[in-house]
Amino acid sequence: MFSELFLPVLMVIFMLVVGGYAVAVLDRLVASALGTPQAGGIWLAPMARGAWLLTQHANATEAPDWRAWRLAPALYLALAAGGLAVVPWSASLVATDLVTSVVLWGSVEALATVVIFLHGWSANSLLALIGGYRYVALGLSYILISMFVLIGVALPAESLQFTQVVASQEGLWNVIRQPLGLPLFLIVGLGMTFWGPLNLADSTDLAGGTAAEISGPPRLVWDMARAAMLVAFSGVAATAFLGGWLGPWLPGLLWMSLKMLAVLSVLLLLGRLLPRLAPERCVTLMWVVLLPLSFIDLVWAGIGALL
Amino acid sequence: MAVNWLHKFAVRGRVPVFPVLGKQGDGVLQHLALSPRIELVDSPRHASVLLVAGEVPADRFEPLRRVHDQLPYPFTTLWFRSEPWPHLERVARIDDLDDLPGALVTAHRELMEGRRGSAHRLLPDEPPNPWEGEGDFGQGGEGMMGGVPYGRPMAMNMENDIRDGLTLDSLTFRLGPFFFAFPPGMAAEITLQGDLVQTWQTQLTPYPQPLDEVFFDARQRPVPIAEVELARARHHLHRLFHALHLAGLENVSLRTLRLAHGLSASSTLDGLRRALSRRGFFRLTAGGGVLGPEQARMIGGPAARAAGLDDDLRAEDAGYRRLGFSPVCQTAGDTHARWRQLLDEIDQSLHLARLAERDRVHTERTGSVETPRGPWSARRPADASALFDELLPGLEWGDALATVASLDVAGLADQPVGTRPSGESRAVRGGTGNDV
Repeated sequence: MFSELFLPVLMVIFMLVVGGYAVAVLDRLVASALGTPQAGGIWLAPMARGAWLLTQHANATEAPDWRAWRLAPALYLALAAGGLAVVPWSASLVATDLVTSVVLWGSVEALATVVIFLHGWSANSLLALIGGYRYVALGLSYILISMFVLIGVALPAESLQFTQVVASQEGLWNVIRQPLGLPLFLIVGLGMTFWGPLNLADSTDLAGGTAAEISGPPRLVWDMARAAMLVAFSGVAATAFLGGWLGPWLPGLLWMSLKMLAVLSVLLLLGRLLPRLAPERCVTLMWVVLLPLSFIDLVWAGIGALL
Repeated sequence: MAVNWLHKFAVRGRVPVFPVLGKQGDGVLQHLALSPRIELVDSPRHASVLLVAGEVPADRFEPLRRVHDQLPYPFTTLWFRSEPWPHLERVARIDDLDDLPGALVTAHRELMEGRRGSAHRLLPDEPPNPWEGEGDFGQGGEGMMGGVPYGRPMAMNMENDIRDGLTLDSLTFRLGPFFFAFPPGMAAEITLQGDLVQTWQTQLTPYPQPLDEVFFDARQRPVPIAEVELARARHHLHRLFHALHLAGLENVSLRTLRLAHGLSASSTLDGLRRALSRRGFFRLTAGGGVLGPEQARMIGGPAARAAGLDDDLRAEDAGYRRLGFSPVCQTAGDTHARWRQLLDEIDQSLHLARLAERDRVHTERTGSVETPRGPWSARRPADASALFDELLPGLEWGDALATVASLDVAGLADQPVGTRPSGESRAVRGGTGNDV
């Protein structure tokens, strides 16, 4: 009972908290290294910000869809938790070792589009709504790419289970076996977490976009959810392409953590280094360049699996 | 106890400040952006302190009241070189720029520690226009789609998209004069379909823009060219700082600002130019906003030269000719060409400043001067914000805002930076009494 019900829940909650905090600290470290002034200490600043948001009132807009507006941050956090639940930390340490965990992750990506649009739409406010519109265009574009890439990693494993995907990389990691896969999947990650160059939903030119109108605890939940989704994505990327817990000398759990931190650092660095892609260019790039590339990746993976 | 602990802990973070810019108020952004304790935010919902910087004219009071009321509790206000409205609680006015970051931190700390009460709302908690509950569904009458429930048309008035002819919902709204991405003071009524601009009508023009004193002096007497060119380069860098923030390149925007603050004749632009190029600022970010020859001539200055017009009053000055000056130009006339033009002109200004400093060259022509905003001979460069009305329809939101940022449209103020704007006393009087 404990190992089947409580342990997975505890694991996911632990990762939500620790992972979210790690993202906040890492992002500040990256920003500081690139010259953005920081105050209050890198380690304490995220908690001070969280404390400030907890002291601030959650504001109202004119006639929002209250239920949807309040639920959307929680739903996005729940999606991140769902993603974290299927990330295997070792051969035996996985919150929920579903035989269809790849499919579950795919549904997390698809539902993220719904939740983020809901967040923008329900505020009944202009800039938030534009953020929602933009995200729908982006979401529709990256989901197909993601599907091709994920099927590509399921083929050599002959399974839709992430633990099997890791086991299939015993001889050679997918990052080598399918060289297009990880770069394409990282772009998907930037899209589904609307981070850095693909932050079309909550961008600066929309004064925060879907989050432009939220304050206080709902904003804290939204920020935590975005950080948790980055962690969940990093876990899936490390599992699908970097051999998950596999590696010499160190325990599997440590290998997995290091690989996740590496993916997370790349995403955060890209977020700080690149400007935001113009929406039209972004959609063109996705459909004209990246989608054909993801199809090539799938064909490549298929041929590799047949040989 | 736990709540007290939470409030005390909250003080240790950066202070989120939403700046409302009045006349000559935009200088505070460049000062505060580099302060490690201050976080300038783009939405009033994300702020703890509302900073009113510079005098706000009376015709912008109503929007200021609305912005004030958008800050979530608890919040406070601070007025910089601006007369606080007397009925606000615990108002503070700061006049020294160096004191401003400390005052903002103190205001936030006092707010968090309960030593300062939160400001109260100025407007009644009701929609600005009454609900018109007619029709079967309270949609405002006139059928399912024709109502104006809160005095605004529903987003259901179908119009043909001007780009591809698709018939989509349209949404009309007013933005400004305190929207951070607009020139200070500007407001516009905009109709969007999705994120595509269908119509744009500039309703309030930006505040006249003050320039460095050296440009005013240059019209009266010969001045060192090095001084003029450094002031010009600084002006352009400040504009670039804003555009980079808008494009999501926060660290490069701050780097630009640091360069502007420490600018001297020995400064170089190489590092910044390389960073912008490597990070794809000219390839990945929003473009568009191509100026035709007439539009380019109307704005003048770097925007005109980015569109291929080589008008530059410096070419008529013997001092500049001795330094080998000739105007640099681009041809495309779009947003990216304007930023390339600005970088080229900053480079050119630094080069001229170096030569002029070495040879102690002064301007020789008085009565007219090429300002960073454009030529100033018989008349000062006038406001050109009406140009947006024809330039922005058909652009996506990001492209439209990038275009706005790339065009220096505000007219020139009649006094240099740092002097009290004309009409200030009238604005101050308008801010008191019963009108708030």
